[in-house]
Amino acid sequence: MLKSLRWIVYGLVVFAMNFPVLVTLITSFKTTREIAGNPGLWIEQPTLDNYLKVLTETERFNIFLYLANSTAAALIGTTLAILLAFPAAYVIARSETGQKLLLPLVINLRAVPLIVFAIPLYMMYQWLGLLDTQIGLGLIFTIVNIPLALVMLVNAISDVPVELDEAATVDGASVFDIMIRIIRPVIRPTLVTTFIFGFITAWNEFLFGLMLTTSRAVPMTVGASFFFAASGGGVQWGMASAVMILGALPPALLGIVMYRQLSGSMTAGAVKG
Amino acid sequence: MPALRHPAAAADNMALVKRAEGRLYLAPLVGFLLLFLGFPALLNLLYSVSTVSFETLRSPQISGFGNYAAALTDAAFWQSVWFSLRFGIITAVSECLLGLFLAIFLKPLLSARPVLMAPLMLPLMVAPAMVGLMYRLVLHEFAGPVPYYLFEWFGDSPAFLDYANAFRTLIVIEVLQWTPFAFLLFYVAYIAIPEDVHEAAALDGATGLQRLWRIDLPLMLPTLTVAFFIRFIDGFRVFDNVYALTGSGAGGSTTSLSIYIYQAFFKEGAIGKAVAASVVLFISSLLVLYGLNWLSARRKR
Repeated sequence: MLKSLRWIVYGLVVFAMNFPVLVTLITSFKTTREIAGNPGLWIEQPTLDNYLKVLTETERFNIFLYLANSTAAALIGTTLAILLAFPAAYVIARSETGQKLLLPLVINLRAVPLIVFAIPLYMMYQWLGLLDTQIGLGLIFTIVNIPLALVMLVNAISDVPVELDEAATVDGASVFDIMIRIIRPVIRPTLVTTFIFGFITAWNEFLFGLMLTTSRAVPMTVGASFFFAASGGGVQWGMASAVMILGALPPALLGIVMYRQLSGSMTAGAVKG
Repeated sequence: MPALRHPAAAADNMALVKRAEGRLYLAPLVGFLLLFLGFPALLNLLYSVSTVSFETLRSPQISGFGNYAAALTDAAFWQSVWFSLRFGIITAVSECLLGLFLAIFLKPLLSARPVLMAPLMLPLMVAPAMVGLMYRLVLHEFAGPVPYYLFEWFGDSPAFLDYANAFRTLIVIEVLQWTPFAFLLFYVAYIAIPEDVHEAAALDGATGLQRLWRIDLPLMLPTLTVAFFIRFIDGFRVFDNVYALTGSGAGGSTTSLSIYIYQAFFKEGAIGKAVAASVVLFISSLLVLYGLNWLSARRKR
């Protein structure tokens, strides 16, 4: 009895929370005519037309450009964040340097609304010629990703027995050698999770994409909103749905495949951060 | 927020990473943060006390606190602060209560079949901006299934995004997307409570409710606090889903503080006012953080 109640609650909650995605997915397989007559949750004549149109009629709305921009900027933002955080995390985990000031400062960064920095960054980007570039967007994603990357890497490195480092030191290895040859292979799973998590976070970012790009480097989240703006009052709901599904797919797939690792890192970032 | 563990052996490790060498490896990160956060913070302070427009961006004239006065006497500013505060508190409380209930109620299901976690976590993987756009479809009066079924079943459907309802609609949307986050934190904390604690309580004749109130909740209190503040901060600074769904919409009734700053800058070109509002937001978030750290430091003692 209680068990079936749990199943019912679970089913309702999953349905309600994923409702927008579900509706969009269903609508993306409907013809324009069917959408007008049947807004319900079933499909009478499934079609792939919307996807075909979105992927082929690219003169006005180039989805490949947006997907490429999101991919490039997210890759830059994630890789650079890990490259910067990894050596710092090693020093913080293995010495007292950086523990008093740097680590708390970076952790608390998560709680500062980043819009606070948006206007001066916009001005700075204008001077540096970084407005509307993939690199510029990637650098912002780096900032967004650094706090969690640092916390996760410090935690992972602290869990590595210090004897490994000591043995390597005795053999004459430098700090750099230890980081690359000893620590990196041991914390590989954490590096992968950090990377995936950072990629998803960067892909889903919206505010800076909106402020710092206008055409060439527009990411998918902003591009999707252009689709609505461009079509004015008469939104083509089938195509719009296909656009949203394609834009939401990469992080959703990564998230579903990696949900176990990601749940671990989310709680690590929150509880220890 | 709680600091990371300090290894008792830290002193021994000093030999592994010498101080100078350590600083060398911290330098890239520190340099990056200074360039992308430190410098902008300074620019913020400078521009907030200057007269500046898009034409004179490079030569701001220091002019005192007029920008702060402009922001702080702007009714729209206070309206957006009020929106953000209410939005942050209501969503954080709802998400924590709902997440706590789900964590405790669904634990028997989830611990037996961990794969059931995946659909619960899916909302966290979708961009909030994208979710905002999706609700344009979900709530659309002709193409959206929610108005369709409401008409079908009840013969009427409210205008979800008009002046009277937009706030409530946005609250529901935010709560539906982010409850999984609170749930996840509580679930991890809840399953970490050792089973023998529960057995001992059962031996002492505690009912389920007593056990929850006297044992589980106190043990989960730190997690509750952390989850509440994370969700409050994220709700307070909300931008993506609100902007994607309503813009500042419905007569400015859904302008969050983040949207206010964005619009003052990009739509009105009121750079000074926008920057002053940014600084106010920055200082208030520092104050909140300071208070939090003070609280957690006091608890540890």
